[in-house]
Amino acid sequence: MSHDPSKKKFSRRTLVKAAAAAGAWQLVPRAVARAAGGEPVRFGFDDTLTGTYAALGKNTLIGCELAVEQINARGGILGRKVEMVVEDSTSGDAGTAVQKARKLIERDHVSFILGNVNSALALAMGQVTADRGILHIVPGGHTDAVTGTACHWNVFRVCNTTQMEANAVAPQLVKNAGKRWYYITPDYAFGHTLQAGLEKAGQKLGAVKAGADLTPLGTTDYSSYLIKAQAASPDVIIFLTQGADMINALKQAVQFGLEKRTHLAGAQQELEALEGLPPEARVGTWVFEWYWKQPGVPHLDAFVSAIRKKTGKVPTARTWQGYAAAWSCALAAHAAKSLDGVKLARAMQGLKLPPEIGLMPQAPFYRAGDHQLMPTLYVGQAQAGTAGSEDLFHVSQLVQGPEAAGPVEDSGCKLTWPHA
Amino acid sequence: MSRLRRAAPASLAAVLLVTMPWWLGAVGGYTELATRIVVLGLAAMALNFLLGFTGVLSFGHAAYFGLGGYGAAMALKYLAPSDALAVAVGVAAGTVAAALIGALIVKLRGVYFAMVTIAFGQVFYFITFRWDSVTGGDDGLTGWSRLPLRLGPLALDVQHRDLAFYYFVLALFGIAAAVMGAVLRSPFGRTLLAIRENERRARFLGIPVERHLWLSFVISGGFASLAGALFALLNNFIDPRALRWDQSGNFVIMAVLGGMRSFWGPLVGAGIFVVLQDFVSSRTENWMSFVGLFFVLVVLFFPRGVLGVLRRRASA
Repeated sequence: MSHDPSKKKFSRRTLVKAAAAAGAWQLVPRAVARAAGGEPVRFGFDDTLTGTYAALGKNTLIGCELAVEQINARGGILGRKVEMVVEDSTSGDAGTAVQKARKLIERDHVSFILGNVNSALALAMGQVTADRGILHIVPGGHTDAVTGTACHWNVFRVCNTTQMEANAVAPQLVKNAGKRWYYITPDYAFGHTLQAGLEKAGQKLGAVKAGADLTPLGTTDYSSYLIKAQAASPDVIIFLTQGADMINALKQAVQFGLEKRTHLAGAQQELEALEGLPPEARVGTWVFEWYWKQPGVPHLDAFVSAIRKKTGKVPTARTWQGYAAAWSCALAAHAAKSLDGVKLARAMQGLKLPPEIGLMPQAPFYRAGDHQLMPTLYVGQAQAGTAGSEDLFHVSQLVQGPEAAGPVEDSGCKLTWPHA
Repeated sequence: MSRLRRAAPASLAAVLLVTMPWWLGAVGGYTELATRIVVLGLAAMALNFLLGFTGVLSFGHAAYFGLGGYGAAMALKYLAPSDALAVAVGVAAGTVAAALIGALIVKLRGVYFAMVTIAFGQVFYFITFRWDSVTGGDDGLTGWSRLPLRLGPLALDVQHRDLAFYYFVLALFGIAAAVMGAVLRSPFGRTLLAIRENERRARFLGIPVERHLWLSFVISGGFASLAGALFALLNNFIDPRALRWDQSGNFVIMAVLGGMRSFWGPLVGAGIFVVLQDFVSSRTENWMSFVGLFFVLVVLFFPRGVLGVLRRRASA
């Protein structure tokens, strides 16, 4: 620091002024937006834009953005323009997700809440939105409870439950890999229920648990778990980690040469993770929730090229989930002719996604009993491809949602309505 | 005259806090943001009782904050539907923990004291993280909610009316601040200052330094757990991150930002921290870099914090 007092004073003054100016600048956009008038319908997007699930959350956002553009191009919702307010929930901090959900509802007066990739965050947000009576669509948080024991009248889910994924993939795992299963499981709601679901589904087919490890979200070094897994000599090591955790775990397993000694597989797999892996680590039997290559499905090419135009890449399951979730809001509002939470939720029950939004062999619909979307599940194998290839998954079997989900009673969901 | 001068900051703080929901709304905030500032401000002031007025740095105060939160949440979920009971249980849980841990560590000084407080904080963090069946683990504790307050025939709907909840929190904050202020003006408080300024001299004067440090730690932990209990009620939610070391670090940042030699400094620091976080995180994913940058600037140019600078200017 300088010893010339006048110089020192000057720099501090400037700094204070700069800080004050920066602070004032923060206030400008909102004030301008208010002055402009003509209240749009707001979607509150509260999802994982940083951390382990950043890639998944961002792709969900891209899908939502495309849907909002299309909704506005077709006249908006009830004659009003749609505007999306985006907040980062972080990948693992439920407190932040809750804070952001409240902020969206209280300050930005959103009519819909979209989120979250992380199951635990989705559950925590569901409690806030139910309390405030705002329609809430969960594009991609899989734990059973969201549309099961912790279901709410206002919460609907696009992605599958962990039990559906387990039921869909278990027969193929037994067929392709064997019956002694070792689990590498992320230590939070999603991992717990996915492992429990697989154990349940595996039991019916004679599969047994060779061992299991709970790994904290955001683990970077899986070597100790992998050594333990190898020592248990299972037929298959089942990776239930997701996002960056999936990439780290599979990469290290292949570096250890485990794929030569045993099978590496799992339940849910995503294009984002396969893209992040070296070709030799793209192995195993998995479930995809949606895939960009589906022969004979109408409107699919238009969607793929629209996303390619936006991002230069093919859409992933997350992109589709965001797209379907945002469009569902508009469809519900058109059907209900209202933005009242209860009326919207009633309109969502049983709502069938039209082909240009569903983009699946059979039209997916929101099951009235537990508010769970009944889509198609894509069971198949990861394929190595080359460094830049986009077709990294071979679909070998289609499983229909109702078949994978089982009866509504099994979900454990009891809906209580506010005015009932 | 000196009395008036002493009362001036407190009355200014009172006026600003009572009217905060209005002026904060006018500049783009919302009621819940105001509540958050008051709650985290209380936590930072509690930490500063120890840091600024006793002179020891605890880097594990989130443990007592979080225990207060879990105490309140679990009382509502498992014991009885009463906000008052929830706050009482939360404060009791945090204070007892602070009393036990404090007794173990008062002999340590400086960086060793800070390290051990972090370590004990992380112990509580991992207990809540791991004990799924009771605490909900990493998912946090859900399935409960704060309830309307009932005082005989009077009912205050703090459950659905944010403004009512703000004033409920503010009332408790006011009591806590008054108690802390009174303790600091008492002979006991003056003794704490003496220990801060010159521990060896205080010891030579026959002051039982360890006992004073322990009491200061317990008082500080107790008010931190009150803030934690209110934080849980504010969010209707609590998760293990409320106990983690980075939350402790945030409290230290708030205290230093606002000025740790002044009584109201940490409240100002909490206000700056919370508003900065709220505004910047809506605009960029890298909001923590801005908070960090701001912190670096404050430490470089205003080492006594925001209030420290204002006070120096006023007395000059």
